[in-house]
Amino acid sequence: MADRYKSSNRNKNGSKRASRKKRRRENININKIKSMKLAVMMIIILLAFTGLGGRLYCIARDNRNDYQKRILSQQRYDSKTLPFKRGSILDANGTILAASEKVYNVVLDCKVMLDKEINEEPTLTALAECFDLNLSDLKKYVKDNPNSQYYVLKKRITYEEMSPFLDRKNEHNKEASKKGNEKMGIINGVWFEEEYIRRYPNNTLACDVIGFTGTDNNGTYGLEEYYNDVLNGTNGREYGYLNDDATLERNTVAAVDGNTLVSTIDANIQAICEKYLKQFNDEHADEAREGLGAFNSAVIIQNCNNGEIMSMASYPNFDLNNPRDISAYYTEEEIAQMETDETYYDTLNNLWRNFCISDTYEPGSTAKALTLAAGLETGRVVGNEIYECSGALDVADHRIRCNVRTGHNTLDVSGALEQSCNVAFMKMGEALGVKNTIKFEQIFNIGLKTNIDLAGEARTASVVFNEKSMGSSELATASFGQGYNVTMIEMVTAFSSIINGGYYYEPHMVSKITNANGDTVKNIEPRVLKQTISSTTSEQMRQYLYAAVAEGTGKSARPAGYAIGGKTGTAEMVPRDHKNYVVSFIGYAPADNPQIVIYCVVDRPNVADQPHASYATGIVKNILTEVLPYLHIGRTEEMTIAEQEEVDRVLGNIVQANNPEGAGDSGEPVEGDNGQGGGAASGEAGNGDGNTDTQDSGKPAYIVDPDTGELIDAVTGEKAVMDYSMEGDDTAPVGENGADGSETDKKGNT
Amino acid sequence: MARQLVKFRSSKHNMDYILLTVVLFLVGFGLLMIYSASSYEAGIDYNDSGYYLKKQAQSTIIGFAGLFVMIKFPYKALQRFDVIAIVVSAVLIMLVKTPIGITRNGASRWINVGFTTFQPAEVAKIGVIVYLASIIQRLESLGKNVVRTPKGLAIILVPPTIIAGMIYVLTKNLSSAAIIMGIAVAMLFVAVPDYKWFVGVGISGIAAVAALVMYVSNTDMSGSSFRLERVKAWLDPESFSTDKAFQTLQALYAIGSGGIWGKGLGQSMQKRNFLPEAQNDMIFSILCEELGLFGAMTIILLFIVLIWSCMVIANKTMDRFGSLLVVGVMAHYAIQVILNIAVVTNTIPNTGITLPFISYGGTSSLFLLMEIGIVLNVSKHCR
Repeated sequence: MADRYKSSNRNKNGSKRASRKKRRRENININKIKSMKLAVMMIIILLAFTGLGGRLYCIARDNRNDYQKRILSQQRYDSKTLPFKRGSILDANGTILAASEKVYNVVLDCKVMLDKEINEEPTLTALAECFDLNLSDLKKYVKDNPNSQYYVLKKRITYEEMSPFLDRKNEHNKEASKKGNEKMGIINGVWFEEEYIRRYPNNTLACDVIGFTGTDNNGTYGLEEYYNDVLNGTNGREYGYLNDDATLERNTVAAVDGNTLVSTIDANIQAICEKYLKQFNDEHADEAREGLGAFNSAVIIQNCNNGEIMSMASYPNFDLNNPRDISAYYTEEEIAQMETDETYYDTLNNLWRNFCISDTYEPGSTAKALTLAAGLETGRVVGNEIYECSGALDVADHRIRCNVRTGHNTLDVSGALEQSCNVAFMKMGEALGVKNTIKFEQIFNIGLKTNIDLAGEARTASVVFNEKSMGSSELATASFGQGYNVTMIEMVTAFSSIINGGYYYEPHMVSKITNANGDTVKNIEPRVLKQTISSTTSEQMRQYLYAAVAEGTGKSARPAGYAIGGKTGTAEMVPRDHKNYVVSFIGYAPADNPQIVIYCVVDRPNVADQPHASYATGIVKNILTEVLPYLHIGRTEEMTIAEQEEVDRVLGNIVQANNPEGAGDSGEPVEGDNGQGGGAASGEAGNGDGNTDTQDSGKPAYIVDPDTGELIDAVTGEKAVMDYSMEGDDTAPVGENGADGSETDKKGNT
Repeated sequence: MARQLVKFRSSKHNMDYILLTVVLFLVGFGLLMIYSASSYEAGIDYNDSGYYLKKQAQSTIIGFAGLFVMIKFPYKALQRFDVIAIVVSAVLIMLVKTPIGITRNGASRWINVGFTTFQPAEVAKIGVIVYLASIIQRLESLGKNVVRTPKGLAIILVPPTIIAGMIYVLTKNLSSAAIIMGIAVAMLFVAVPDYKWFVGVGISGIAAVAALVMYVSNTDMSGSSFRLERVKAWLDPESFSTDKAFQTLQALYAIGSGGIWGKGLGQSMQKRNFLPEAQNDMIFSILCEELGLFGAMTIILLFIVLIWSCMVIANKTMDRFGSLLVVGVMAHYAIQVILNIAVVTNTIPNTGITLPFISYGGTSSLFLLMEIGIVLNVSKHCR
């Protein structure tokens, strides 16, 4: 190019030739300088590159292992736990009783958010609006802790609560990533920590049976505790490790969710039972003393043909979603008081424990069914015996009274059960003898755990008789259910075997275990443990028990339109001061083809005059009126107009404030009772022995430690020996002196 | 090497295809590295692992359009725009303080022109190159030693100094200011026969830096400025490992752990949340980690080839303006590559300098490619 330039210049006039030459020389000169300078510059550049290359080499050579270690050490290859989902608990129909739900903790990472300062405004605004937080508080926190990386803003929110924020974040960040919107900033530095919490959709329903579980996946009480391992799965893990090439591999082992329990509980039946228990408690609350309608009241319904528990309800209950809330039963001052004298947890434990399996009591006359069955089975009672009842019997220097002081006169076997005559049963017990009584106590599993699949079943071995501890007076009282303790589940299971032909089924609560996908892992079949009595005896017993309801003391338990069998019980508590009674009813339905066994226990009803089984039979009647139609068991008996009206009212599900036993079953007996119970009342007055104070404090005089089976004093917590003695004139009348007696009157009237 | 190039070229047009090939390779490789370095964070931040790659690919396409325009555009016409170039640069730099300026990380370095955003500093670099090439040529045409007179020196050096000052003051971008001054000094160095002045300035500069370093390392840190802290962190990165020197240290870890052959493309661990701006200033350390010393040296060699090609073109071009343009571009590339690698290896204190073609950055990519276009254009007119 320079040449062309030169040649074009050549044609121009000569006067400029010198300057051209000069310029050319200059050009050559300049180009020489340029080449030289460029070479120098290139050398400098190459030197710089050589230096940097050397430095790179040195860094790699000297620090390779050190830096590799540092990199690996700052990697988060420590494992991260992926939580499993604890299995659900379903009822027999698939209704969810307990289920784990994934929840999220909102965590703010200020450092990440403040990575770009313009992100603060949109992020905090979105947080404040989506989670209803105070914006100025957030700003203050961020200002004070700009380096905080873990600030939990909100705990345990559901996916539905979380998703508006996610939507907003996506929308905002999409908008912000568009050109020209850089100033908007993005929503950043918020993440959600996953967690599972246990939810109980029915709150209080079957609370004692289900038990509860905190976030630690550790069940407390009930099915949650007993099946803890089944319900729990295995945590998954996300972890990193170094492979052979010292590079980081990440691996994820997914969590295995826990198995689901299909319970034999029917939530509908359970709800019916709980409804009437609550109704009873509401009606009698604060009646004779301050407090609930009874210290405890409970109902078990069992399928007598396979041992499945269909319902196990007790009151007082608690909200499984909030098990520590006892404000329904205690005032704030009382709770504060409990916390100061450290009885708060005792109170909670008392509330949580399942009365049906953990608490023991003297069964009272309901045990007469067992005595009679044992008598018939051994042949010591054949059925044609005639008993003479004069109102009391002298046994080994003690005079033990019958429930009716004036006596029942002459009774046959059926009549003895119908009238619940203590004297007749003492005679039966005498005929049976200590050996057979103890033998059948064992055959009926009294004193042994039933091994029901629930946590917290009490051991009762130390609170029943053995051959050594049973003398003739103990034999006499044991024949009508006093002097030894049982749990409800023991009674129900034993009674079922009497009804169903003698098959002692292991009671159970869970029929099936499925995995998280719903595939069956295990079917739990009914287990017959033993034959308690022969089917002939069972057949005989059904007739006697049917008569006991149809003609006898259990009349008020019969639901309109059905024939049922059963036995009432009224047990006086220790100390024998005629103050505190456990009233109960155990029965089966329908009478001709037994499907279910129902057992209701009311522990110290909150009434002025406790010893009336009608408090239990009333509950049973209401429950059966609803449950039997629900189970598609047809009515077999004709109903009077009054009964029809009552049934309509009950099944119409209108829970009214007035007495549900309005048909006149209970109101009348109470009247009649007062006259009859006069003896008891005066006896009490005459007794005046001053050791009733423990009763008045509202606690049982004794409890059974479910772990050891030992009796412990409820007040002192020390081991106690129970005084079962029936000595003394005034301690005599035990059993049904109330409702039963009145039934007699009524029978006489009709 | 130059001889071989001559053989290779056809007589019709002498364009330096080796330079073009090297550039194409570097651009392609740059996109690969941007994807490798940014995909993890882009996936987290934008739910799109190719977010940065896509944006860079767009700029690259525009950059290549600019490159081809500059190949076709008669470069001599640029000489007409010398003063305009410097004025436009100055105006654009001032625009960052107007409402269309964009502030990120506390520095206003970008302006928004509606359809896109760009950094005026990048425009200023090319503006200064054009201005200096033109003005040196003009001054030389007035007389042999006009350039070396104080007045000439003032005309040559004052405008770039003003631009550099503006960039430093207005955009707080020390590195761009330094690059512009470096370009100016390099072009002047090539233009004048003197050495002693440059040696003198060089030695006094080094002495000043050494003095500053001595001063910083012996002073208490309390209340010191942002720059001083960076210097302190540079001298002793381990004691600032969680704060100022975090990035530098993580870059060193990356380089050190790569070894000779590296962990393999895409296998970097440091890009996963540890090395900030992994796809940006610090991409060279990710390159070292993944491809090892071998990969790093290869890239350095490619840049040397690029700079060498520029030198050859500058040397062979008889046209003074074209030659000086190429010198300016060459200086720009050399300074930027050297400074970037120096920062990554903690040879100098941390300052934000991108690695040409490899680092993420739209404006930078566009103007660097346009500069290559100018060089290729000049190379067409070589003898």
